[in-house]
Amino acid sequence: MNENTILEIKNYSKSYGEGKKAADNVSLNVMSGDIYGFIGHNGAGKSTTIRAVVGVLDFTEGEILIDGHSVKTEPLECKRVTAYIPDNPDLYENLTGIQYLNFVADVFGISAAEREESIKKYADMFEITAALGDLISSYSHGMKQKVAIISALIHKPKLLVLDEPFVGLDPKASFTLKEIMREMCQQGSAVFFSTHVLDVAEKLCNKVAIIRQGKIIASGTMEELTAGHSLEQTFLEADHDS
Amino acid sequence: MTANSILLLKTLLLSTSQRNIYRHTTDKKKRTKIIWGYIGQACIYAMLVGYAIAMCVGYGKLGMIDAAPVLCALIISALAFIFTLFQTNGYLFNFKEYDMLMSLPFESKTVAGCKFLYMYIKSLPWYISISLAMMIGYGIFAHPSVIVYPLWMVLSLFIPVIPMLISSFIGFLIARISAGFRKTNIVQTVLTMIFVIFCFSLRFIIEDMFRNDKVEATLESISEITENAGRIYLPAGWFANAVRKPDLLSALLLIGVSVLLFAAVFTVVGKSYRNINSALKSHAAARNFKMSTQKQRSVEEAIAFKEFKRLTGSTTYMVNGGMGVILAALLGIITLIFGFDKIVMTVTQNAPFDPAVLRPAIPLILYFFIGMMATTACSPSLEGKNYWILQSLPIEMKTVYRGKMLFNMLLTVPFMTFSTLCMCISAHVPLADSVLYLIMGFALCAFSTAWGCVCGIRHMRLDWENEVEVIKQGAAVTVYLLPNLFVTMALIGLTIFLGTRMDHKLLTLILILITAVLAALSYRKAMTLAKREK
Repeated sequence: MNENTILEIKNYSKSYGEGKKAADNVSLNVMSGDIYGFIGHNGAGKSTTIRAVVGVLDFTEGEILIDGHSVKTEPLECKRVTAYIPDNPDLYENLTGIQYLNFVADVFGISAAEREESIKKYADMFEITAALGDLISSYSHGMKQKVAIISALIHKPKLLVLDEPFVGLDPKASFTLKEIMREMCQQGSAVFFSTHVLDVAEKLCNKVAIIRQGKIIASGTMEELTAGHSLEQTFLEADHDS
Repeated sequence: MTANSILLLKTLLLSTSQRNIYRHTTDKKKRTKIIWGYIGQACIYAMLVGYAIAMCVGYGKLGMIDAAPVLCALIISALAFIFTLFQTNGYLFNFKEYDMLMSLPFESKTVAGCKFLYMYIKSLPWYISISLAMMIGYGIFAHPSVIVYPLWMVLSLFIPVIPMLISSFIGFLIARISAGFRKTNIVQTVLTMIFVIFCFSLRFIIEDMFRNDKVEATLESISEITENAGRIYLPAGWFANAVRKPDLLSALLLIGVSVLLFAAVFTVVGKSYRNINSALKSHAAARNFKMSTQKQRSVEEAIAFKEFKRLTGSTTYMVNGGMGVILAALLGIITLIFGFDKIVMTVTQNAPFDPAVLRPAIPLILYFFIGMMATTACSPSLEGKNYWILQSLPIEMKTVYRGKMLFNMLLTVPFMTFSTLCMCISAHVPLADSVLYLIMGFALCAFSTAWGCVCGIRHMRLDWENEVEVIKQGAAVTVYLLPNLFVTMALIGLTIFLGTRMDHKLLTLILILITAVLAALSYRKAMTLAKREK
C-alpha cells in the first residue's frame, strides 16, 4: 500500500440474500489529494460500496482499508479519520442544528474553541448560521444536507465520503461544497463521492470509476478515461460496451 | 460507562425530549399539544399509582401484605419483559438513524448498550410509579423499619433491568435468526409472535405446576403462586428478601447480577450488531421483474393495499397490529379443541359458576383481544414524512381515511367471524344467538375501526424519530387503547350480569344497537376531522 493511499478497496463483494451481487469484486484506490468520483446508474452498487466503506454495512468478501486500517477489524480507527454524508441525511429531528453539531463535535473530542471556529466558518459559508437554533424538524431537505455537511467537516477528516452530495443543494451551496472539497484535497485529504451529475464529476474530479451492475467497468484519471472526449460520452460508451 | 456512551445516551434522550421541542419550537399549537401530552401522561401515572395502592390495600386487608414485595417485583418484571420484547425491534435494531450513528466512531456494543439504556430510562417512570405506590401500600400495612424505604427506592431502579436484558437478548436471537432469511421482517414477526404467545400460555403452565390441590381457595392460591414465583424467578426473591428483612446481601446480589448481565449481553450483542442491522436494513434485489397483467383497484382498495404493505413491511407494526387478532383466533381454536367449559374453568381457576353465563359476552371477550389495537389509530401518524404523498393526491382526505378503515375491517372482521364461530360451536350456542353474536362482532370491529380513526387523526404525530413512538407510545394509541380496554372489561362484567337476568337475544340486540350507533357517530366524527385535514 502506497503511503499516500487513503482509501483502498480490494476485491470487495456484497450480495443480499439469494439476489444478485450488489457489488462484485470492486477494487480501487483513493490517494491523498484525490477527488474521486464514483458514477453509475441507479442501483449500480454505488451506495452499497459507500456504506461498506464507512463501516455501516457488513461485508464478508474482500477488504477495505482507510489510512492503512481495516474497516472490518479496526472500525473505530477508520471512522476517526472519515466523515460520511448520506444522500438523505436522517438527523435527529428534535435537536436544534447547533445541538446536533455539538453532539458530533463531542464524539470527535473537538475543543470548544475549535468547534466554534469550524461551525461559524462553514455555517456562514452555507448561510445557515441564523437557523442553527431551530429544530432540525423545521429544516428543508437542503438545510438538513448543509447541517450534515458541516458535521462532517468539524473534525477535519482525512477521507470525506459523500453519497449524491449535490442533490437538494441550491446552486450557491453546491458551489461552496465544491470549493470545500478542493480546499480539503489541497490540504492532503481525499474525497470519494458518488454522483449522477456527470458535468460536476468532469469538472471536479481528478479520478473516476464507473460501476455497472456491481462491477467496476472503467476507472482511472480523468484524462486516461476520457481521452479527449466528454465524460458523458465515455460513460455511455463504457456502459454500452459492457 | 465511557464518556462517549454518556454523550450518546444524553443525545438520544435529548433527541426525543418533548421539553427540548417545547423550548425551541415557535409553533404554539405544538407547544399546547406537548402540555396536554404531559397532563395526559400524569393522569395515566396517577391511575397506575391508584391501582397499585388499591392492590396493596387489598392485600393488606386480607393479611397477605408480606406478598406485596414479590408481587411488586413480579408485576414490574412481567411488564418490563413484555414491553421490551415489543420494542426491541425498532429501538435496538432497524432504527432510522443507524447509518448516521454507525458512521461515527462508536463501538457497536456502545451503540447497542446506549439504545438499551435509552429504552430503560424511557420506560422507568412507569415501573417506578408502580413500585413507589406499592412501597407506600406496604409501608402502611407492614410498618417496616425506615431503612426499607431508601432500599426499596434504590432497588426499584434495578428490578426491570434483568427482565429487559433477557427480553432484549431474546429479541437479539430472533433478529439473528431472521437475518439469515430473505423475508427477514416476516420471519422476525412470526418468531416474536410465537414467543409472546408462549409467554402468555406460560402463566397457566406455571400456575398448574404450583397448584397441587385444585380446589384450594383462590386467595390462598394467589398468595402461594406469588411466593413460589419469587422462588423460581430469583431477582423477585432477592428484591423481596432485601426489603422484608432487610437484607443487604440480597440487595447487592440484585444490583451485581443486573450490572454483570448488562455487560455480558452487550458484549455478545455488539459482536453481531452490524451484521444483524445490515441484514435487517438491506433488501434483496432479484431484478427479474417482467411486466404482466396489472390490476386496477378502487381508490379505497388501493389505500387499503398500501396499508397492508405498510403493516407487513415493519416487524414492530406487524407484532403490535396483528397480535390481537392472532390471540383471538388462537382462543377460538383452543376453545374448539378443548371445549368452552374447560377453557373457562382453567382461566377462572375452577371458580364455582356455570360457564354458560359467559355466552352473551363471547363477542366482547374476543373484542378484548381484537380491539387491543386498531391500525387506524396509528396509521395516520405512521405516514410520517410520506404524508405529503397523500396530501398531494387528487382525492379527498375522507377517501384516504375510508381506505385506512377498510384495511382495518379487512384485518379484523375475518378473525372476529372465525373466532366467534369457533366459540359458538364449542359453547353450543343456539343458531339464532350465534348469528346475533356474529353481527355484534362485526359492529364491534366497525366501532374499533372508526374510533381508532378519530383518535388517529386527532392525535396525529408526523415528526417521530422511531416508529415505536407512534405504534406503542403514541398519544393516539394510548387514547384509543386505555378507555377501550377498561370499558370492554366493564362491559364483559355487565353483560354476564345482565345475561343472568334477561333474554340473551334481547341483550345482544341492545348491545348491537348501542355499538352500531357509537360506530356510526365515530365514523361521522372521523369524516369531519378528515375534511379539516387538507
